[in-house]
Parts: sequence; structure tokens; C-alpha cells
Amino acid sequence: MSGTVLENLSNRKLGVLTVSLLLAQMVFFLIGGLIAPAPNNVQVLLATKCVDEGSSALTQQRKWFYPRGEGNCNRVSTLDDPYIIDNHITADHIVFSLQFPNPMEGTREPDMVRWFQYMVGVMMLDIAYQKHNPMIEKPLLGLDLRLGYRDIGDKPGDWKELAHASETRTMDCSLDEQFKEDGYNYNCSMLPLYEYGAVHHNFYLINIRLPITGVTDNKNYGIGTLKDIWVIVIHQNGGFTKVWYSTKTVVTPILIGIIIWFWRRVKQLPRPPVLLEKMLLGLGVVLVINNIPIEWLTLWMELPFMLLLSDIKQGVFFSLLLCFWIIFAGEHLMDDVERNRLVAYWKHLAAVMFGCLCMFIFDMCERGVQLRNPFYSIWATDLGTNLAYSFIIIAGICACLYFILLCWMVFKVFRNITFKRGSLPSMPSKRRAYYEGIIYRFKFLMLITLLCAALTVIFFIVSQVAEGHWKWGEDLSEERSKLEYTSAFYVGAYGMWNVYVFALLCLYAPSHKYGAPALIVDGDGEGEEIATNEEIEFSRLPSEVSQLTAFVKKTAAD
Amino acid sequence: MTCSGQQVNVLVWTAVITLCMFSIQAYSWTLNNFLMSGPKAYLTFSASVAAGAQAGMEECQHQYQWEKWNCPRSSLPLYSHSTPAANSETSFVHAISSAGVMHTLTRNCSAGEFEKCGCDDRKKGQVAAGWTWGGCSDNVQFGEQISKQFVDALETGLDATALMNLHNSEAGRAAVRQTLKRVCKCHGVSGSCSTQTCWLQITEFRQVGNYLKRKYHRAQRVDYKNGELKLGNTGRMEELPSLNKRDLVYLEPSPDYCRTNITEAGSVGTVGRLCSRRKVDSAHRSERKSCKVLCKSCGLKVRKRTIELLTSCNCKFQWCCDVKCEECRETVEKLTCSVI
Repeated sequence: MSGTVLENLSNRKLGVLTVSLLLAQMVFFLIGGLIAPAPNNVQVLLATKCVDEGSSALTQQRKWFYPRGEGNCNRVSTLDDPYIIDNHITADHIVFSLQFPNPMEGTREPDMVRWFQYMVGVMMLDIAYQKHNPMIEKPLLGLDLRLGYRDIGDKPGDWKELAHASETRTMDCSLDEQFKEDGYNYNCSMLPLYEYGAVHHNFYLINIRLPITGVTDNKNYGIGTLKDIWVIVIHQNGGFTKVWYSTKTVVTPILIGIIIWFWRRVKQLPRPPVLLEKMLLGLGVVLVINNIPIEWLTLWMELPFMLLLSDIKQGVFFSLLLCFWIIFAGEHLMDDVERNRLVAYWKHLAAVMFGCLCMFIFDMCERGVQLRNPFYSIWATDLGTNLAYSFIIIAGICACLYFILLCWMVFKVFRNITFKRGSLPSMPSKRRAYYEGIIYRFKFLMLITLLCAALTVIFFIVSQVAEGHWKWGEDLSEERSKLEYTSAFYVGAYGMWNVYVFALLCLYAPSHKYGAPALIVDGDGEGEEIATNEEIEFSRLPSEVSQLTAFVKKTAAD
Repeated sequence: MTCSGQQVNVLVWTAVITLCMFSIQAYSWTLNNFLMSGPKAYLTFSASVAAGAQAGMEECQHQYQWEKWNCPRSSLPLYSHSTPAANSETSFVHAISSAGVMHTLTRNCSAGEFEKCGCDDRKKGQVAAGWTWGGCSDNVQFGEQISKQFVDALETGLDATALMNLHNSEAGRAAVRQTLKRVCKCHGVSGSCSTQTCWLQITEFRQVGNYLKRKYHRAQRVDYKNGELKLGNTGRMEELPSLNKRDLVYLEPSPDYCRTNITEAGSVGTVGRLCSRRKVDSAHRSERKSCKVLCKSCGLKVRKRTIELLTSCNCKFQWCCDVKCEECRETVEKLTCSVI
């Protein structure tokens, strides 16, 4: 019977391994906190109001309106500019135009670079309260949206279309009774504008129209007096991308190495691999797939599906991790039920799979559709919102169900351990110490799992709180804290799950010492080793992956 | 009868332009002189600075329309030659104009109107590398910096008044910061909040005005001692807290604004001023008690006149440009302070 490395490792070696893994974990946090900048950058952009001089505004769709550079648009500073009245300009002729990035201090025009990876745009409308033009309840916004791009070296007006869509958004605005005076704006919630999974070009341009002719469902009526449109573009910081991908590139070969080592050990065994070993291999492989930095390709190619792909990869990894925990607990349950097959866990796995399937469908409905139309948002329509919520709620129920099942299983394992421990004093002292050690290490690993989960949650909260602690009222000269908490969280959490899987692969690999007298070093001599083997033969359970199970079976048989 | 809103708008605009022309003629010398004296690099900002100061002034007049002192144009620091008094009204004017400049600069920076805007050189390496590596600082910071450079450049002296003005300008900029809205967007895995990005959004300037008005009511009197401002002994508190950056401070008590005293106090008195007894939720407290404050406390009578006005009503609006209204006759009660 084989033992795992965990049980056969001396305390000193286990200590060394633990400390080095903790150090690796520290390094991840420090890389995130000290080297990387904040994960995302925000560009707050105010739309320029361009005037479409064309006779029929809606036939002029081919034309681009841009605020800066040669051939820029004819603009008005406010929508009550006398120019609008003098020239009989209607709402159909107004094009809200955003060209980004905005000019910044520096020698050349700043541009978007491929390191930015993705763009998320949201829209905020400044709608002024006017007594004679109030807003109706939940008005509909009919938007004609275009996203264009231009590269360095292109002529100033040479914008090319990336996406074009007519979208509907429902506005959600409020205003307290005491502020219902001219000069106040409605408090409107932000509206999703677009999400695009690639930043392949240098300059981008958004043209927004709110047409009033040719629209159905009373769109763009009763929205009040529109003053301004703000668009906030969020993209990943180049420095963060560099640090992130470098970390991935370094981690990948190490993880591949440990998987090969693990599987060779399993293969050296005289028996076929057990379920837990297969699960461990699966976990490792999925993590490697997660780690392989195919994102480097985005520096050469425009790959908008990367956002969706990384969602799916992460989803697969975490669902496999959830399955692994269930099986890990189940295989250490120490009752007389034969498991070692996935079918034995169908209830738990079904909960995980169904939940993940819901999340996958939801993601395909949002980010999948966005591949075709970046302006699409599932939250824009009532039907979509309900659908999205139902998927999320079902996934949430599955998650709850899963955690109840998991907790129940872990509880049973600990109950069995306590129960079996009662029979320990009747054993010879050396053997008792040995088995107590096994229980201790088993619990130790359970603890590590809980610790990892708890740390992830804690650091997430810390990063959120730290982010919230901007001192707005303070002088700008006061530096923000040197540590980037959010980046530290991302790189740290990423590192943590890598370290976790690494540790599992190390410690749960079959030990070299199988079948050799080495095991007896801690035992009571050859006779007992044989006795152990006999008992295992007796119970006819090939599934034990650890000595712990063997021990419990034995005591149960006693 | 319908009239197109265009005519209404034209009238309003003509009025605004005429008003601007007048004020520019009267005050342009100091303003231009100041703007030209700024560093060459900042010439691009001068239009925004002027617009910001103007916005501050308009807000000031709105905030004080029901008070004895109604923020006359002459109280704007950029427009006046003479050294104004160092009372709490002056402190408000300094704060609101500095806030207006910051607000406008921030806004225009977001609109991409400046060649140089908002990339912080404190970040790593070259500016371009900084942008690529870790993005740029927010536009609010930029607005604050430029506003500070412009408005603080006005105070050349090192006397008590100069220190007070600097402090109040700082308080004005702090007010813009305090009224910023923090907005967050979740964009993590499947749009979850595992990744959340937040930014600061400037609010309408009215909110800044309201904030500063509250600060005005709690303005603190200070004394000038050993080259710095110290909280004056108001008698109420023995344990004096340190001077807060966000508070407005003043050196002298306000004069009696009931009387006309243009030369010294810049006061025009309250005779002929309008007051209001409007009873709606949105009417500010100062509006509700305006007749009491403006007229009765100055020993004046409230005179009631009913006038008939033509107003636009039953308007059919689009979100921009085109308004179709009916014209309605409305009887309005006008209340003025009068000697008899």
C-alpha cells in the first residue's frame, strides 16, 4: 500500500516546504503591491457636441464626427447655444462625439496601446431639472452608437468603423423634492455603453446620437433637458498587464514540471491511479491551461474573445476545484462505502455543474453577444435583466446547495476522526504517534484550504476598503499609499491558488517509500506492516490513497 | 397660441450677451492684465479660468439672491481694483470663484480641450511611459493644480488679507473635492464585482455653491498673528481647534448691508430688492424668510404688486433644441422692499 508524500515527509521537511511556499506567496503579493500599478485606469471623458450639418441627419451615418484634429466637427459648447436656433438644428443633428485618449502633457499625442487589453465604457447623462420639462418615469433612450478607430500614421479624418448599433437603454433617475429647482441635475444611474475585448488600435472615436425621428416606443421623449454626456472608459493598465503576463509565464513551466513529476510517481505505482489522483491531475492541467499566457498573442493580433475565454478558463478551474474538495472530503470519509468513482458524487457534482452551466450561459448571453455587438448589454432590456437575474439566482442556489453539502461532508469527516480517535489510546505508543501525525496533517491541509479561501475573501475586502479610502478632501500633494492593494489582491490571489495546487500535487503524490520498509521506521516492525497489509486485503478496498483511511479501516475492523 | 421657443431663447441670449459685453467693458482691464501676467504655458487655460470665475460669480449671485448682501459683481476679486473688505462675504466670493475655476478646468480637461492635461509627472519614468504603464491622474487633480496656480497668483502680498484670501481659495477647491461623487463599475469575471473600478465625477456647480454657503454660515473669524492666521477668541470656546482647511475664515465683521455704503463696504442697501414668500418644498430657507430679512429687519416695508406675465406653458419638449410651447397669462405677486 502506498502512502502519500505528506505522511512520509518528516516534520522538518514539511516545515521547509511550508515556509518556502509561504515565501512564494509573499513574493506574489509583493509583486502585485509594489511593482504593478493599479489594475485599471479610468478616462473620464466629456462628449463634444458636434452639429451634423447634413440635410437629413439619418442618411449621414457614414460620416464621422470628431472633436480634434484636421477636419474636426462643427461644435456647440452648450445645447442652448444661439447657433442651434439660428440654424434650425434639431436633436437629430446633434452628435455626441468622444475621441480618446484625450491629449495629455507630453511631447507626442498619447495613444491607446495593445497592453491595455480591453475597454469597458459606461455612460452618464447630465440631465437638468426644468420645471416645464420634467422627466417621465423610466424613460427610454434610443441610441445610435458607433465605435471607430484610427492608427498612428493614418490621416486625421481617416476613421474606420469597428461597431455600429442601435441600442435601447432605460434611464433610472431620481431627484429629491427639495432639489426640484433649476440648476440641479437628476441623479441618474450610469448606463452600460460598450465592452470590447481588445485594444488593438491607437485612437478611438465614439459617436452617439439620440434621434427623435424614426424611433419607436416614444424613445428619447420625456427624458428631460439633456446637458451633457459623460463617457467613462476603463481599460487595464499596461504595467499591470506586463506584470500579470510575466508572472503567468514564469509560473507555467514550474507547474508543468510538478504535474509531470506527480504523474510519473502515480504511474510508477503497481496499481491504477485512484480518483483523487486523477482529480489532482485534472486540477493541475486546468490550472496550466489557465496559466499558459496565450494573451501575449494580443500584442500581434486583435482577439476580442480573450475576455470571454479567460472567463471560461477561470470558471472551469474553479468548478474543478469545487469538485475536488467534495471528492477530497468524500475519499476521507472513512465509512465502509466504496466510492472512487465520479458517479458516487453525482449529487454534489450536479450542483456544481448546473451552477457553472448557468453562469456559462449567462456569460455567453453577455460577453458572447458582445463579440458581435460591443454595445450589447443584457441589462438593457427588462427581459434580458430578468433572464440574467434568473441565471445568477439559479447559480447562487447551486452554490448554496454545494456549500451545504460540502460542509456536511467535512463535518462527517471530522466526526469520524474524533470518533476513531477514541480508540487511539489502546494502541502502542509509537504507532499512535504516527497515526496522530496523519490526522494532524490531514487537518492541516483542510485548514490550508479554508485559509486560502478566507484569505482570498479578506484580501478582496481589504483591497475594496483601501480603494474606498481616497481622501477627497485632502490636499492633492499628499501621496496615496505606496502599496497598490488591488493589484496585490489580484496577483496575490492568483499566486495563492497556484501555490495551493502546487502544494496539493507535492504532498498528495504517492510516496517513494511505498512497500519499502521505510514505512516501518515509524511503525513497530515488519510484523505490523504485514498486518496492516493483511487488513487492507481483508477489507478489499483499493481506493485508499492515504494511510489515514487505512488506519481507520483497520481500527474499524478491530 | 403657440410660439416657438426659439424666440424666447433668442431674447434670453441677447440679454446674456449684452450683460457680458457690459461687464467685459467695465472690468476687462484687470482680468486681461491678470491673465496675461500668468505664465506663458498657461495661456491656453485663460478662457477656462475666465469662464470659471464667471460661473463662480453667477453661483454666488444665485446663493445670495435672498440675502441682504447679494453678491454684486464688484466683489469678484478678478474684476476689482480696490482692496475689498476682509469679511465673511469676501471669503465666500474668493472660495466660490476659486471653486468655479477648478470646476470649469476639470470639466474642460475631460472634454479634451487642452493640449496639456492631467498626466501626473509623479508617476514612473517618462510621461508617455507613465500613461502606458499606470495611466494618468484624474482630471480633478489637474483642475485643482491649475486653479491654484491661477487664483493664488492674484495674491501677491503677504499681509493678513492675502493670507485670508489664499485660505479661502483653498477652501473653495476643497469644496469641489468634497462634492465629488464616487462612482464604481463592476467589470470582473462575467461582469461580477471581483474587479471594480471607481472614479470621481464632478457634480453640478450648484452643489458646490450649496456646500460653500453652509461653510459661510459657519465661517470662522481669525486673527493675524506672527505672520499666520490664528482662530480668533470668539469667547464661546476656550480650547481652540486648529484652523481647518475646508472652513471659510474672515478677519473683519460684516458691515450693515441695510445701508447704502458703496465706497467702504460695497453695500448698495436693500431698498427696491425683491423678496419671496413662495411656499414649495424646493424653496430654500433663505427664500422663505427673505421678506423678513431683506425688508423688515432693515426697517423697510414689503410692497406687494400684482403683475401679469406672459409665460410659456404646456411645452412639448425634445431633449434638445426644439420647444413647442403655449403662451399663458399668469398673475404673479411681486414683493419688494420699500421705504414707504
